[in-house]
Amino acid sequence: MFEEKLKEFEPIFYPKSIAVVGVSATSIKAGSLWVSDLRSAGFPGLIYPVGSSGGRIADLEILPNLRLIPGEVDYVIVAVPRQSALELLDDCTAKNVKAVHFFTAGFSETKTQQGRKLEEQMLEKARQGNVRIIGPNCIGVYCPEHKIPFVMGILGESGSVGFISQSGGVATKLVTIGIARHIKYSKGVSFGNGIDLDASDFLQYLAADPKTRVIGAYLEGTRDGARLFTTMKQVGKIKPLVVWKGGRTEVGAQAAMSHTGSLTSPASIWSAMLKQAGAVEVHSLEELTDTLLIFQQLEHGQGTHAAIIGGLADGGGGNSVAAGDACMENGLKIPPLSLETKQELTDLLGEVGSILRNPVDVSQAQFRGLPTLFQAIDLVVRDSISDIVLIQEDIEILLPIYSRQGLEEINEFVIELGRRHNKPIIVVLPPGSAEPERFQIEQKLLAASIPVFCSMERAAGAICKLNHYSCWQEAK
Amino acid sequence: MVKSQNLLTEVESKELLKKAGIPVVEAKLARSKKEAISISREIGFPVVLKISSSDVVHKSDSGGVRLGLTNATQVGKAYSQITSSVKQAYPEARIDGVSVQTMAPPGVEVIVGMSKDAQFGPVLMFGLGGILVEVLKDVSFRIVPVTERDAREMIKEIKGYPVLQGYRGQKAASIPALEQLIVKVSQFVEKNPQIKELDLNPIFAYPDKAVAVDARVILE
Repeated sequence: MFEEKLKEFEPIFYPKSIAVVGVSATSIKAGSLWVSDLRSAGFPGLIYPVGSSGGRIADLEILPNLRLIPGEVDYVIVAVPRQSALELLDDCTAKNVKAVHFFTAGFSETKTQQGRKLEEQMLEKARQGNVRIIGPNCIGVYCPEHKIPFVMGILGESGSVGFISQSGGVATKLVTIGIARHIKYSKGVSFGNGIDLDASDFLQYLAADPKTRVIGAYLEGTRDGARLFTTMKQVGKIKPLVVWKGGRTEVGAQAAMSHTGSLTSPASIWSAMLKQAGAVEVHSLEELTDTLLIFQQLEHGQGTHAAIIGGLADGGGGNSVAAGDACMENGLKIPPLSLETKQELTDLLGEVGSILRNPVDVSQAQFRGLPTLFQAIDLVVRDSISDIVLIQEDIEILLPIYSRQGLEEINEFVIELGRRHNKPIIVVLPPGSAEPERFQIEQKLLAASIPVFCSMERAAGAICKLNHYSCWQEAK
Repeated sequence: MVKSQNLLTEVESKELLKKAGIPVVEAKLARSKKEAISISREIGFPVVLKISSSDVVHKSDSGGVRLGLTNATQVGKAYSQITSSVKQAYPEARIDGVSVQTMAPPGVEVIVGMSKDAQFGPVLMFGLGGILVEVLKDVSFRIVPVTERDAREMIKEIKGYPVLQGYRGQKAASIPALEQLIVKVSQFVEKNPQIKELDLNPIFAYPDKAVAVDARVILE
């Protein structure tokens, strides 16, 4: 479905040439930054800076007008004041430009008549000239595969997660958190006011895009709810769709004469819509990125039987109990360990000082050395009672016991173990007083495709969202 | 009191719903005490009398509803009491008469309704009737068109779902009958875009069927 979108959107996500309008050789302008960012990212196509100042930028000649560009232009980034928007669209039509991204703001989002009117005129011109508009008032496109960086030149690795965002701020956070947590994007777009191409268009494209396996979305509203509903139902059948709806508390209820009217709120309607579409609803940036990370790393139909190792050393008992609560409350099942595993753990660690049920606390291993710790973890992971294993590592406690070297070894072992047993391992690294070491370990695990979370609640919440999606798909 | 030409009376609302295949307890309009008695005899006692006026939104608050009337004398007396107490509460109200209907046997009370969202159009709501809707707001929503699966999920989603499965000797409600009813309401509002809001409140759900006991249709 939506295969026609691939060709239609190729000039947007894989342009052969980009013109940037609003560039100056001397002063720092948004347009100038776009040019240098594209250049440093290694964009493989042609870049044409356009601006009235003349001169050069990043070794490229600045042309005074879009129409003077010698070759074809697929895509235009606009960072000039809104007064020039209409004239610029004429230039785009003359140059047979396929799509234009307006970074420029000051339109309907200002809630003025003037802003709305200008948008209407832009849309009319674009339709006549066969040019598609992204924005206005947005950051536009991110495509690491084609070396199109996001704002400020941010460029992460290419991957399988697509995103759309009505907000540029949220879009930027998605990209930066993505880099930090190894969520790798296929494509992303911030589409702002979305006067032409909107959420529905980009969702259809991402649904068809073979590089995208899961889609994240931040939405605040829609101009065409019926189309968005239909699109989401279609997209939801093709790929997992994780949606964060912003502005859930807006006061939107008008005087109603029925019970139904008075009980209905915008938030409840969005939630209903997302359920009907089979989308996964989340309520914060943290939940959105947690969920995208888990969808990126794990297969669907994972199962929710978890083995939890709540503590590897001192203080592991209380942590294990709390970890169990957090997982249960977030919908994971925590079956007891098999009798064999329990017996082997008892033989290994003794009866005192550890909790040898699920959640497991293997604190006693610290007095017997790393090989014993590894053996204990291996016993728990190997037990067929679980589909998934969560291991909590409290770095500030482990560091003085095992030293940096020991921590390295523990995590190398964890990485190796997941591969050996072909069972997903999730690591929880609670923040504390050993942040540099914690960060280093997080990066190491993430690089080895082990999802890392900073709390059991967040890990369990994300796993359950994955499971909920699988159940919904199976029940259809 | 709400001055509205757009509020259909219970009798009008139920006629529309019945035509759409939505099960309702039929109500007939009586314009006089005599008519009320003869309709009661025709449909059989016990009966319920309710004020019929598009100017009165909250019928029971103004003494406009009398339940469980078992003979002609009671019906005649109820007719006078209803009309006079509504006239007292709403002197301006235009009164068509009184609606007469069979007193439905008690079932699990639920509500199904529709209102329109500016972005997504008609939205259906489901919940348990009475205080659970009003105080706890234990309701679920789906956007029209509502499929059978959507209907099933919206029924199971409410916290009060166990009540529908039978509770302390109360008989279970037929979930398939409620599903069918919800899907039919969805089809009804899809075909009739001139309907602005809709309440089937209460619906009595039984082990084998579900019937709307009261209904209110508000047009655009």
